[in-house]
Amino acid sequence: MILNTLLDNPDQILVNLFHQGAALLQACPALVIALGILLSTVPLVAIFPACFAITTWLERKGLARIQNRIGPNRAGWFGLLQPMADGIKMLLKEDIVPQTSDRLAHFLAPVLLLIPAFTVLSVLPFSRNMIPAAADTGVILFFALGSISTLPVFMAGWSSHNKYSLLGGMRAIAQMVSYEIPLVLSTVTVVMLTGSLNTVKIVEFQQVTHWIEGSNPALQILGQVLKWNVFTPWGFTGFLIFFISSLAEINRCPFDLPEADSEIVAGHLTEYSGFKYALFFMGEYVSAFAISGLAVTLFLGGWSGPNIRPWWSEDPRALLIPGFVWFFLKMFALILIMIWIRGTLPRLRVDHLMAFAWKFLMPLALINIFIAGAYYYLPHWIGWPAGLIVIYACYEGLGRINRRHLGPKRIYRYA
Amino acid sequence: MNIAFYLLSALAVTGALLAIRLRNLVHATLCLMFFFISLAGMYVLLMAEFIAAVQILVYVGAVGILILFAIMLTHHITGATRERISSRGWLWGLGAALAVLFTVLLPVLLLSVLPAAPATPDFSPSVRNIGLSLMDPYTITLQVMGLLLTAALIGAVAVASTSVRPQDKPRT
Repeated sequence: MILNTLLDNPDQILVNLFHQGAALLQACPALVIALGILLSTVPLVAIFPACFAITTWLERKGLARIQNRIGPNRAGWFGLLQPMADGIKMLLKEDIVPQTSDRLAHFLAPVLLLIPAFTVLSVLPFSRNMIPAAADTGVILFFALGSISTLPVFMAGWSSHNKYSLLGGMRAIAQMVSYEIPLVLSTVTVVMLTGSLNTVKIVEFQQVTHWIEGSNPALQILGQVLKWNVFTPWGFTGFLIFFISSLAEINRCPFDLPEADSEIVAGHLTEYSGFKYALFFMGEYVSAFAISGLAVTLFLGGWSGPNIRPWWSEDPRALLIPGFVWFFLKMFALILIMIWIRGTLPRLRVDHLMAFAWKFLMPLALINIFIAGAYYYLPHWIGWPAGLIVIYACYEGLGRINRRHLGPKRIYRYA
Repeated sequence: MNIAFYLLSALAVTGALLAIRLRNLVHATLCLMFFFISLAGMYVLLMAEFIAAVQILVYVGAVGILILFAIMLTHHITGATRERISSRGWLWGLGAALAVLFTVLLPVLLLSVLPAAPATPDFSPSVRNIGLSLMDPYTITLQVMGLLLTAALIGAVAVASTSVRPQDKPRT
């Protein structure tokens, strides 16, 4: 009987197992609550550091291949044990704290960075019925909690009592505050069209329910893919703006000015060593996962992907492949694109960075909101091509207006 | 629920006290942010998660960072300073607080004007309701506020921007 319900819904096995466990513990409600809390937090704290380890390996290997090197290949098969070696090295390193530093702030900064990084993960739906905190205001909560992460970066920069650190901290704040605006404005379109800030509803909005619940397998697959927000003009623009701004928000290349190693040593990380440095690193990567996860949820259909109903199942909403498989696949695809960009693009200059956010991304995001509004009221066969044309015209126009302010071309003379 | 409330209020009061009493400006600002975050936690306890999110977004994400920026851009007050202002500010503050407590708060509490149960039991401060009330009865107010803020923003840019533009020279 229990086995039947479990097999009926292959994508819901974990959820149903939890419900069975909760039914067994019914006598003690406190235990059920404790179990629920543990089950919604422990996997986050366990899985994402593991993803972080894999990603450091992927990044080192990928960058190496882009730069025509081999990359880590000594520890384990294809260097797969490299993250473990790195971790042990970081743990055993001496922790050096500068004498003039502000000790408490210096110690607290890396710890505080991890808190928002992990908390924001809890509003992301990883699969159907699998969301740690199904808040009604999920998207806003994500940005609110994410905005705390500027604080530890500033603390790190200020408390180190080092000019490079301070410069890095200032750069980080300026950049994070500027790029938060296009980031939030680009999500407004999705919220408008969905009519909800709830991440679960945003994912459901991107599925064609009557196709998925129908009997045709081809339509079931299409129904999980065709209505993703990225396949509309406003969604595509919004996704690009969101992705670019998120790169700046998590200080990734080409926006890694706060830790520009050729200019200011390592920015706010200069005076950190050993495990504190590793914590900073982990915080950055976990935020990268979180923001890619939000991009996947908002624009790339969340946990929905090419999927069919298992032929033996009675439940019309059952799926063969668990949703979190698709979620993590899409998330890692975005992370791979970030690595690819890091291997390809040079770093921006500070004034270029600011001008790009304020003069290009923000107006485009504002225009995109109007286009999304028009798309909502027009029939789709007009709205889609018209939106595309208007967006392209605005893109070209903004580019041309900005080009006029570039000034005369600089000539560099090398000795 | 109660434990969370006491914990959060203890944190908030500690943060606020430290924000006033600490000599180091940056430390004081950090404590202020801490206070803001614990206040957001109180809002969550009151089931007003939207207000909590906005509290963090506005006060921690914007106001706090602005204060830190102002401190960083001003000379000579970034670190601990030795200057002391010898005033009995805390005495006056304590007196004022006690006066408010005895003349306003305690009589109100003792006369039990406050209802024991919430006035509207089905009140749900959801985002939808906030949005609908902003768009329906308060539309004009919202528009005027938006206009005012835009004017302030443009004014700030006009004040901050320098009119003299350095001539761009090809650098060697």
